[in-house]
Amino acid sequence: MTIIRRGTMTAAVMALGLTLAACGGSLTQDGSGKDDSDTIKLGMLTPLTGSSAAIGPHMKDGARLAVDEINAKGGIDGRKLSLTVEDEACDPKTAAAGAAKLVSAGVRISVGGYCSSATLPTLSIFEKAHIPMIIPAANSADLLAEQRRNVFLINGTGIQQAQAAAAFIKAGSSKGVALIDDNTSYSTDITKRTGDELGLLGVKVADHQSVTAGESDYSGAVNAVLGSKADFVYWTGYYQEGGLLIKQLRAAGYKGRIMVADGSVDGKLIEIAGKSNVQGVFATMTQTPQTIPGGEAWVATYKKKFGSEPGPYSTQAYDAVRVAAEAVRAAGSTDGQDVIEALEQIDGFEIFSGPLNFTLQHTLSVGGFDILVVEDDDFVLEK
Amino acid sequence: MNDESTLRAGEKPSVYVSAVEGRTPTNIAPSVTEAGASASSRTAVAELVSNSLASRCLGTGAAVAALALPLVSSSTYVIQIAVDALIFVMLAVGLNIVVGYCGLLDLGYAAFFAIGAYTSGLLSTRFGWPLVATVPVVVIAAIIAGLLIGGPTLRLRSDYLAIVTLGFGEIIRITANNLDFTGGPNGLYGIPDFGDFGLRADIALYWITAVVVIAAVLFSSRLGRGRIGRAWRFVREDEDAAEAMGIHTYRVKFAAYIAGAVFGGIAGVLFAAHQTAISPPSFNFLWSALILMAVVLGGMASTPGVVVGALMISLLPELLRGAENWRYLIFGLLLIVVMVFRPQGLLPAHPGEPRRRGRRAREGTS
Repeated sequence: MTIIRRGTMTAAVMALGLTLAACGGSLTQDGSGKDDSDTIKLGMLTPLTGSSAAIGPHMKDGARLAVDEINAKGGIDGRKLSLTVEDEACDPKTAAAGAAKLVSAGVRISVGGYCSSATLPTLSIFEKAHIPMIIPAANSADLLAEQRRNVFLINGTGIQQAQAAAAFIKAGSSKGVALIDDNTSYSTDITKRTGDELGLLGVKVADHQSVTAGESDYSGAVNAVLGSKADFVYWTGYYQEGGLLIKQLRAAGYKGRIMVADGSVDGKLIEIAGKSNVQGVFATMTQTPQTIPGGEAWVATYKKKFGSEPGPYSTQAYDAVRVAAEAVRAAGSTDGQDVIEALEQIDGFEIFSGPLNFTLQHTLSVGGFDILVVEDDDFVLEK
Repeated sequence: MNDESTLRAGEKPSVYVSAVEGRTPTNIAPSVTEAGASASSRTAVAELVSNSLASRCLGTGAAVAALALPLVSSSTYVIQIAVDALIFVMLAVGLNIVVGYCGLLDLGYAAFFAIGAYTSGLLSTRFGWPLVATVPVVVIAAIIAGLLIGGPTLRLRSDYLAIVTLGFGEIIRITANNLDFTGGPNGLYGIPDFGDFGLRADIALYWITAVVVIAAVLFSSRLGRGRIGRAWRFVREDEDAAEAMGIHTYRVKFAAYIAGAVFGGIAGVLFAAHQTAISPPSFNFLWSALILMAVVLGGMASTPGVVVGALMISLLPELLRGAENWRYLIFGLLLIVVMVFRPQGLLPAHPGEPRRRGRRAREGTS
C-alpha cells in the first residue's frame, strides 16, 4: 500500500512539475497583454444587493446611457464601448471578488465604486492588473491615502462636502450643531472634517454622536441632541438610518434645522421619515441634472430610455464613462499607463460638476457641492 | 456498560465503548495480532483497508487538486475566490475542533479571525513588520484571547457558553470599530503580502494559502483521531460520564478552545494578506454564523464533510452571482434542502472509530 501510494505521489509531483514548466508563463506574468480587440471593455462595481442595493441600478443605467450615446456616435476611433457590471454588495469581500471577476473578464478601465470601505480592497487588485479606476461615488480620503496612481475620484471629496456643509451651518445655526454619523468610513470622514471646518469658522459643536447602522431605535442619539440644545443637526450616514433618525427627532419634539449628507439624498429618505417630517430638511449634494440649469434635457432622455427618474450617482456614473472614453481617445490606446497619463492631463472636459481637471491627488479641482432642500416629494436646490 | 438503563434511548453505545477501550488497548491487542485470519476478519480487514485507502486517496487527491488549480486556470477571478474558499475551509476546520469534536457551541468564532487579521495588519502597516514575522505574534495573541475568554466561560455549559462567545465576537468587532489605533470604521489598508517569489502575486499567495490550509486540515483531522480527540468526543457525548472516567474535562475543553483560536488567528493573517484592506464589518456575526453553518452542513466532527461544507458555503454565493438579488434566496433554499435530506450533514462522521470496530469484529470470531 505504502509503495503504491508513494508511486502515485511521485507521479503526481512529476506531473505537477511538468505542467508548471509548460505553462509557467501565465503564472509569472500579469494578464494584461496587448489589447487590439474592437471593443473597449469598461467594468463597474456597484451595490446590487445588500443595504445600498437601491443605488446600483441608478449607477448602472447612468453608465449605460453614456455607453450607448458614445457608441451611437461611432465609438472611440471606431472601437465600441462595452460595460460589465458586478455586484459589490457594500461588502469588502464581495467587492474584491467582483473586482477580480472584472479583471478576468478583460476589463480595461473601471468606472465603479460606491461604498468606500468596499472599494478599498479593490484598489490593489485593479492596480496589479494595470487598470485605471475612475471612481464615480466612493469618496473617502482613505482611497487616496496610499497614493496609487491608478485611482481617480470624480465625486466631490469629504473635505469639499465638509466645507460646503460648514459654510451653510454657520449661516443657519445660533446655538450649536449636533453632528451624527453612522460609524462607517465615509460618514465619520465627513463629521470629523465638518467639525474641523466649523472650529475654524468659530461655530460651536454642541454634540457629536455615532450611531450603529442597521438599528431601528435611535432614541439615545435623539435624547442627546435634545439635551445638548443644538438647533442644527447634520446627519452624514445613509438614507435608511437617516430617515428613521429624522422621524424620531421630530417625534421627540426637535424643532431645529436638519441637514443630511449625500449618502442620504434618495427618495427613500422621504418615504422612511414620512413626508411631513422631512419638509425643509437640507442636504449637501453634488450637482445633479435636476439642480443644474439645462439638465432637464438629460433627465428627459434618461427617463425615456429607462422609464424611471435618474437617481443619486446616475450622473457621476454617466460622467465616469465619458471621462474614460475621453482618456482612451486622448491616449489613443487602452494601455493602463497611457490612459492614466491621459487622465492626469485632462483639461477642462465638461462634466456635470463643471470643467474637469484632476488635482495632484487625483481628485476634482472644483468641488461642486450644492445645498438642496426637501420640498414635497423631491430634493430641490436651496435658493 | 451492559446495563441497558445506563444508555438513553437513541444514543449510540459505540462511542462510549470505543472511548473506554481506547484507554486500555493492550487488553485486546495481543488477541488481535495472534488471532488466525478467519473469513469474517478478512472481510473486515479488506473493508478497513479500502475505507482508509479511499479516504486517504480522496484527501491526497483533494490536496493535489488544490495545489494544481493555478495550472488549470490562472484567471484572477478563479484565484481570488479560491483563496477566499481556502481561508473559509481553514476557519471551518478550526471551528470543527471546538464545535464538532468537543461539542462547545461557539457563536463568536469570527472574533479570533478578527484578532489574527488585526494583529498582523497592525504590525505590518503601523510598524512595518514583514507579514511572516507577525505569525508568531498572532498565534500568541489568539492563545491569550482564548485564555481570557475561555478561562471563565468554559466552566459554563451549553447555552451559557454560546451567549458569552456571541458577546465576545461583538465586543471585538465594536472595539475595533471605535479605537483610533485600529483605524476605526475605516479599518486598516495597505497590508503587504508574503512576497511573490517570482510568480504572479496572487498565485504566490494562493500557493502559500493552499499549503497552510492543507497542513491545517491534516493537523485537525489527526488531532481528532488521537488520544485528545477521543477525550473531546467523550466530553461532547456526556461530560459527567467523561469526568467520572477520569478525564479532566475543563482542561480538555480548554485545549479544544485554544486550538480553535489558533486556527482562527492564522486564517486571519491569510485573510489580511489576501484582502489588503480589513475593516470591522468583515468580522460581523454573520461570519461566525456562516462558519458554524459550514461545520453543521458538512457534518460535525467529520473532516471531509466540514471541508466540503466550507467550500459550498463560500463558493455558492459567488457562483450564484448572476442571480443578483435572488442569490441569497437561492443560497438559503439550497441550504434548507441539504438539511432536509441530509440532516446529519453532507458527509457525516462515523460514530466511533473504524479501526476499533474492526478489532471488535475480529475479537468476536476468535
